[in-house]
Amino acid sequence: MEFVLKAILKVVKIALILFVVTFGIYMNNLENKLIFYVIRPLLNKHYDSQVRDRRV
Amino acid sequence: MNFSEFTDILVAPIDKALQRYDPIWLAENGKGGQRTRYNDKNGIEKYREWRGTKDTLRDYVAWLKNVGSMGQMVASAPVACLKGFWEYRWMGSYLGTFIFINRLFEGYRGEELKIANMHMHAITSSLTKKIAFVLKNDKRLGGGPDSDNIIPYDETLPPLYLMGFPGLTPVPLQTLPEFIICDIDQHIEPYYIDVAESMGLPADVCSRCSAETGVAIDDAFPIMGRGMLSSNMPCNASEATSSFQRRRIGLPDFPVTLAMQHQEEEGKDFSEQVLKDSMKFIEDIYGVKYDWNELFKYAKLMNEQNEIEMEKWDIFATPYSPLNGISETLYKLYEWQSVNGAEPMFNEVDRKVIKIMRDCVDKKYEAFGGKTRHRAFLWGPSAVYYTDFPTWAQNCWGINVVLNMDSTMGYNHIDTEDPVKAMRDLTEFSQRSCMRHHAVGGWDNINAVWDWAKRFNCDMIICNDNVACKGMNGVHAALEEQAAEYGMHWVWLEHDLEDSRTVSRQDMRKCINDYMSVVLGEEPLDATIVEFDDSEGY
Amino acid sequence: MKDLKHLIYFENLLQEAKNELVDQAIKEGNHPLGYNCYYIPETLLNLPGCFSSRLRAPRCTSTDVANYYMTQRNCPYARSILERAVEGGYNYLEALFGAEACSTMERMEEHFALYNPVKNDKFFTTIIDPPMKGDDTNLEYYKVQLKEKVLKPLKKNLGVDISEKALKAAIKDHNDIAKIITEIGEFRKLDNPPITGYEFHVIQLVSEVCPHYLIKPYLEETLAEIKKRKPEPEFPFRARLVVAGSEIDDPDFTKLIESCGAMVVADRYCFGSFPSREQIEIKKGEKAFDAICRHYLETNQCARFMDGEKIDQRTAEIMKLYKDFKADGVIYEQMKFCEFWSYEKVLAGNILANQYKVPVCTIEKEYMLGSMGQLRTRFQAFVESLEIKAIGG
Repeated sequence: MEFVLKAILKVVKIALILFVVTFGIYMNNLENKLIFYVIRPLLNKHYDSQVRDRRV
Repeated sequence: MNFSEFTDILVAPIDKALQRYDPIWLAENGKGGQRTRYNDKNGIEKYREWRGTKDTLRDYVAWLKNVGSMGQMVASAPVACLKGFWEYRWMGSYLGTFIFINRLFEGYRGEELKIANMHMHAITSSLTKKIAFVLKNDKRLGGGPDSDNIIPYDETLPPLYLMGFPGLTPVPLQTLPEFIICDIDQHIEPYYIDVAESMGLPADVCSRCSAETGVAIDDAFPIMGRGMLSSNMPCNASEATSSFQRRRIGLPDFPVTLAMQHQEEEGKDFSEQVLKDSMKFIEDIYGVKYDWNELFKYAKLMNEQNEIEMEKWDIFATPYSPLNGISETLYKLYEWQSVNGAEPMFNEVDRKVIKIMRDCVDKKYEAFGGKTRHRAFLWGPSAVYYTDFPTWAQNCWGINVVLNMDSTMGYNHIDTEDPVKAMRDLTEFSQRSCMRHHAVGGWDNINAVWDWAKRFNCDMIICNDNVACKGMNGVHAALEEQAAEYGMHWVWLEHDLEDSRTVSRQDMRKCINDYMSVVLGEEPLDATIVEFDDSEGY
Repeated sequence: MKDLKHLIYFENLLQEAKNELVDQAIKEGNHPLGYNCYYIPETLLNLPGCFSSRLRAPRCTSTDVANYYMTQRNCPYARSILERAVEGGYNYLEALFGAEACSTMERMEEHFALYNPVKNDKFFTTIIDPPMKGDDTNLEYYKVQLKEKVLKPLKKNLGVDISEKALKAAIKDHNDIAKIITEIGEFRKLDNPPITGYEFHVIQLVSEVCPHYLIKPYLEETLAEIKKRKPEPEFPFRARLVVAGSEIDDPDFTKLIESCGAMVVADRYCFGSFPSREQIEIKKGEKAFDAICRHYLETNQCARFMDGEKIDQRTAEIMKLYKDFKADGVIYEQMKFCEFWSYEKVLAGNILANQYKVPVCTIEKEYMLGSMGQLRTRFQAFVESLEIKAIGG
């Protein structure tokens, strides 16, 4: 019984942490800030350096 | 008291405490509005929209589900996805999807938000699977088990009739690298347009086709299949750009040239024969026999979608539809043009949505807090780089875009027993494609706008004025004179389809702002979004 | 070279759509039938008792009214035609046979039905849905369209004889005119031709805008004159060019090119003789109407065709003209706002230049020659580059 309760508590704890983390990301728009300010500029640098087979 | 009412009471104190973060409350009280939480120019939100406890949690769950879909996409083809991001500039733009979704449903609450999230998740889930499938089988990235079993077809060609080839998967050629991605990122197509123009293509051609040409010249189309179907739809520039795509992609090509004057019986006979010829082309190239029973399976799904659609239309005509604006337009466009009966998941979503809509009619639920002042029909092909325009129109001026021209695509019943009848039905259905069936084939097709507007009790028509659309430009005065005769509010919405540099989003907003403030003398619902600079945002 | 006897007369005939020969034919009881595009077979409009009038808007100075109807962001040829119609320039017409070949053309022709700018009680408009491929399915559709929207209305509205005999007479009329024009045009293959590109352009145009039976004697006389005409002692131009493109109905455009030192030896554009002046052949067992439809579909080189065979045919035809007429280069012209030729200009221009190593100059122009200075500079530079290339071997 105690084991089950502990397990439930652990699940709730993990769920709560997950909720706090993901809701924090969601509410503060963190993933989009990361993409806009960090990832895309790096990717664009890569795309701009590509040599493409550009012809008709 | 039901459960929902009970929870409303529970969260009321929280909502009260946090209402100063709710942009609608801010606008109502003259303390700010939707734009308050944005960074200027780049359109990055400092924090997501607080919609009240329940709606925020609802939106959060929807976000989680979409994150899950994206995770699934990467997990299903990790190497291909990485290669795709590395190889294709347009793939990088898909990272802006969540910013895009946030823009789309600003100000959405309650039932309209519920439906919008269901719709968006269906699209995200389907699209991510499609992206993974394409990248996994893209010969440029190494290919996969289905590389040769894909039929690449022009995205304006409804793929339903191609579902009769067992073992083959139709994939719209331009949708991933050009069309949908322009919805998400307004800066991606100008890159490809510049590529096309660097080869000498004038800047006054339709920017959608110019972008497609740029993708072809830049060698950025995924390579798949053994033969491709190009199309004369929707219009002249699409016909012209196909010659570039055919050349660069290098596959045997069958142009599916459906009749322009598609309302005439002779036109239907012709289109039917063209479809049959294209089926023969696929049979010859792929060595797969057409199976009508296979087709009927999907035609039944399409028929159900259209039956539900007809019921939705009845509800659209009332003030109690929780489905409208971009939530309706984007879903319908994707469901009809890209899915076209091929994915049962969309039928499930439709069934759930129509239930919600029926309830809303019973409850006399008015979307957007009953703040709608005008019911508008959006006519003509819309700006792809400003997908969230209807959302802005509602939030800023209370203009509810009830329906869009492209939501009137093929809705006829397709026979599911007799191949002869089915062929005729498929012809009728396929001819009524996106950006096309009202835009070509003569005056009567474009002039049908009045019947549509009346059917949905609209008092306003916002007519997309794509500066490069020669067909629509050709009827400018004729339409205006009709509007004067019918006494309907008629607003030209200037844009350049996929090139936001020519007519920016703010330029588009100005068209509406000027009409609403100068002609109608109305005050905005949210003063923070009347004029703002989002030129650097996705 | 000595001036051609009828050149000034021909030039005068091109000053108005309703010229003196058109007047005369109407007085003699013939039906004047207008059209804009090669998709409408000229032959069908030259059935006994009718004559074709390919619409131009010569000396058009402004398109203000047409701009109101169609915006300024549309093909200036189409706008000029509409403007001329509103001005009353086509009141002589009894019909306009249109083609939804491009959106602009279709919209322009639609205004003829919506607003009735042509003040003629008999006037009517039809618009065909023209084919986009050269295969049998499209040929059959073409036949249906031409039967339903050209032949039947001609019979019903104007009482025109559309019998097999009448169609054969129309083919003969076409072949007679085509033979004369082709013979005149062939002189341009010579190293030192006894005709200039400008003169040929004028001659070709009068054959398209005047009643055939009235212009034919003048053309025959001109052919006889050219046969005996003494060319300049030395070829007076520095280069020879093929011009390809859309609606070039202003001979001053050809004059402009030639004033820059290059003779236009072949005219592959709408209003040009390639295609339009080929012989129509009735195959064994074939009906005259079927032969006309087949001929026009086979010879049509509109940039609108989408199938591989027709796309390749366009390039192949240019290459054939380039070789047969011993050209040094090709000018690709595109009317501003023309979607089809915008693309074709880039596609074919690149193929010719990169695949076949043919010197190409691509230009964009208005309908009326406005910015002559810019075009002149382009042409002069192109001619110079051809000369440098020739020196370099």
